[in-house]
Amino acid sequence: MALAKKVKQQDFYKRFDQLDGSHPFKKVLPEGFVDYPARIRKGGKVSYFNFTLAKEMGLIPADHDGKITPELEAKILQTFSIQIINEFDQEQERKFPEADMKSGTYMATRYLQLQHDNKQGKTSGDGRSVWNGQVKYRSKVWDISSGGTGATKLSPATSKFGRYFETGDPTISYGCGYAEVDEGFATAILSRVFNQNNYSTERSLAIIEFKNNISINIRAHRNLIRPSHMFLYLKQDDHQSLKSIVDYYIERQRESEVWKDCPQNYRKYDFFLNQIKDTFAKLSARFEDDYIFCWLDWDGDNILMDGGIIDYGSVRQFGLCHYEYRYDDVERFSTNLYEQKTKAKYIVQTFAQVVNYIRTKEKGSITDFANHEVLNSFEDVYENQKDLNLLHRLGLSERKVKQVQKRDPKLVENLRKSFSYFEKMKTKKGEVKISDGKTWDAIFNMRDLLRELPQAFMLSDSNLVAEQFVEIMTSSLASKEDLEINSYKKQKIEEFQKLYKDIIKKTAKIFQETEKKTLLDISRRSQVINKPNRITGDATTFIINEILKKRKELSNEKINNLLNALEATQNLNPDHKVKFPQKYPEGILNKFMEIIEEHREGI
Amino acid sequence: MKLVFYGGGDAEENRTLDSKLLSLIKNQKEPIITFIPACGHDSDEYFNDIVDQYSSLGVSRILRLNIDQPFSEFMKDSIFLSDIIHLGGGNTYYFLKHLKKSGMLQGIKDWALKGGILCGLSAGAIIMTPRIDTAGFPEFDKDDNEENIKNLNSMKLVNFDFFPHYRNSKRYDEALRKYSLGNSAPVYACPDGVGIIVEGEEVRFVGKVACFYEGKKHFINK
Repeated sequence: MALAKKVKQQDFYKRFDQLDGSHPFKKVLPEGFVDYPARIRKGGKVSYFNFTLAKEMGLIPADHDGKITPELEAKILQTFSIQIINEFDQEQERKFPEADMKSGTYMATRYLQLQHDNKQGKTSGDGRSVWNGQVKYRSKVWDISSGGTGATKLSPATSKFGRYFETGDPTISYGCGYAEVDEGFATAILSRVFNQNNYSTERSLAIIEFKNNISINIRAHRNLIRPSHMFLYLKQDDHQSLKSIVDYYIERQRESEVWKDCPQNYRKYDFFLNQIKDTFAKLSARFEDDYIFCWLDWDGDNILMDGGIIDYGSVRQFGLCHYEYRYDDVERFSTNLYEQKTKAKYIVQTFAQVVNYIRTKEKGSITDFANHEVLNSFEDVYENQKDLNLLHRLGLSERKVKQVQKRDPKLVENLRKSFSYFEKMKTKKGEVKISDGKTWDAIFNMRDLLRELPQAFMLSDSNLVAEQFVEIMTSSLASKEDLEINSYKKQKIEEFQKLYKDIIKKTAKIFQETEKKTLLDISRRSQVINKPNRITGDATTFIINEILKKRKELSNEKINNLLNALEATQNLNPDHKVKFPQKYPEGILNKFMEIIEEHREGI
Repeated sequence: MKLVFYGGGDAEENRTLDSKLLSLIKNQKEPIITFIPACGHDSDEYFNDIVDQYSSLGVSRILRLNIDQPFSEFMKDSIFLSDIIHLGGGNTYYFLKHLKKSGMLQGIKDWALKGGILCGLSAGAIIMTPRIDTAGFPEFDKDDNEENIKNLNSMKLVNFDFFPHYRNSKRYDEALRKYSLGNSAPVYACPDGVGIIVEGEEVRFVGKVACFYEGKKHFINK
């Protein structure tokens, strides 16, 4: 009986066995990775496991409860608790017990990274992570990789100092091959929130915790290829490898039916370029409007090919439009919120160069593509998306958004200009240094305005007086001086209210409903989209501190329940029905909500 | 003063009470209803139901104020322009705590005393009574007092206690009888779909209400 039960449980988790380091990429591009043998790393425990994701991936049965049983934990550890035998180990001729050795080898992929001196990607890539492999379930394919599995030779440290490092070497931090628990939780929390709100993102599958805040953080996505995986071959003038990886990516998109209409012949490269352009134009518009800071740069790192967010170390969600914020990466400052678009456009320009190179076998200069038609189209898609985003933020349903934008684009454009005037207003205090960079605070909380304004218009047909209008959107960062209302501002306030009401009228007319009904619908939706307590990067940091402080009293089941509840409070999709695990925020969740409220207007 | 106490239930169960509530409005043209949920974090779906419920009765000006989340002074003042304020169901302790913290408990009470129509469902109904003790029993069906709130004094708009989601069973009756023994005011227990309307000095019961007083139980509207 006991044996039967054991066999059954093993059967339960057999799909984990696919994750043995094998991956089709290895055959496609043998030069595209460094392969490492690995051994079991002992002493870890599973701190977090994403049951929802594991079910989507078919790693556990759909009816599995939310408990990490000893059998499940053993399977997770057996699969993911690994450490590579790196070049340092090999130089030292270190021996490990045969029983601890994994049968497969694990790849650290090569990609371009701007922080390396070699700007052709000859030294860079996965510096502290390896790919566990791929699982297929119900026509979906998932790539899985783990961070913190040991120092690879692709880390910035090896490139900088010209030698190999022992995993865990205390003399270097970034480059020692370890990951940390707080990073793992930051990814787990933010990726759950973003995924729920329809952002493509890496998703945290599990966190394996070791002593001293060290962890292995396991992540999954439908395709973990980044632009930077391709750009290095462009920089190296390696036509064959570049073509191989682009073809590989296109085929995967086609097979997974994401790109069903992709042509089979050479025109597939045009299709590819168009898709990339659409993705990055829409993404940069959405990042701006949702105040999401994701450090995009010319190397095409920090982002996946489908625009998925990856590497949450510097990813933030601002409470207000803090577009002057820059992350301080010691040697350089990051781009800011609005520069993300320029960088996204540059990535598309580079892909125009890639496609041309693949087709002609002649690599033109990047500047030759500065006026490529795809970039004009990028601008159109971006501008269109900005319009759609604003109408969505107002609270219009998708159907209404499309129709209003189509029928009266000028009105939407005018509203956007007017909205932007307030959204971009900054404090008179000027630039300030903060713990991880610098910023110049925005003063108006436009999400508050969009939430309360329709309610105000339900109460009265008259416009709000300027002081009331300003009071609704005043943030805690604004000083008295910042809020002075001059005649120009008064005029802008009147103008915005008029344009807002024109949108209501337009919508009501198109959809043949009363303006009151339109307003009620907008108000209802806007309250979800613009809920006051939206998590920010600062709030995430403090929430993680809280988790780590209470770590001993929190079982992994409790952590899972907490993150489920936290995710539910962050739904911004009015069409998505959310199941709340708690009737009201009690205990630690209540503390989380207090933190979110306290930092809701921050970085 | 016009108050409507709902024992609980959905729109279908409360159709009668809803129409009686709306009939209390003097100016029937385009009334304004403000919904205040007991907890803002999980109230998106609840508010959708409220909108559907009142929209089906011809109301199109329906506001929502989450008192446990930030809101502007403008909104704080504006809700008192409503014809009806609807206090939602949920955890009564959490609701009372945040009504007090936001300063809205007294504001809503004053507004109701001046003639505003106040209604509440379950926790929202208990809030309108002198104290919220009835949220704390019976053991098998009580609200958690997570933060151990000791001051249970509430709006005190009526001189009775209210017990929502009542079921005519021995277990409930035992708990209610026991409570009523030490209580000077009667406890009205309402099942879902049943309620009480207070208009000035007049108290009307809609549906079969159980009254517990000095350890005894009797039904009103048998």
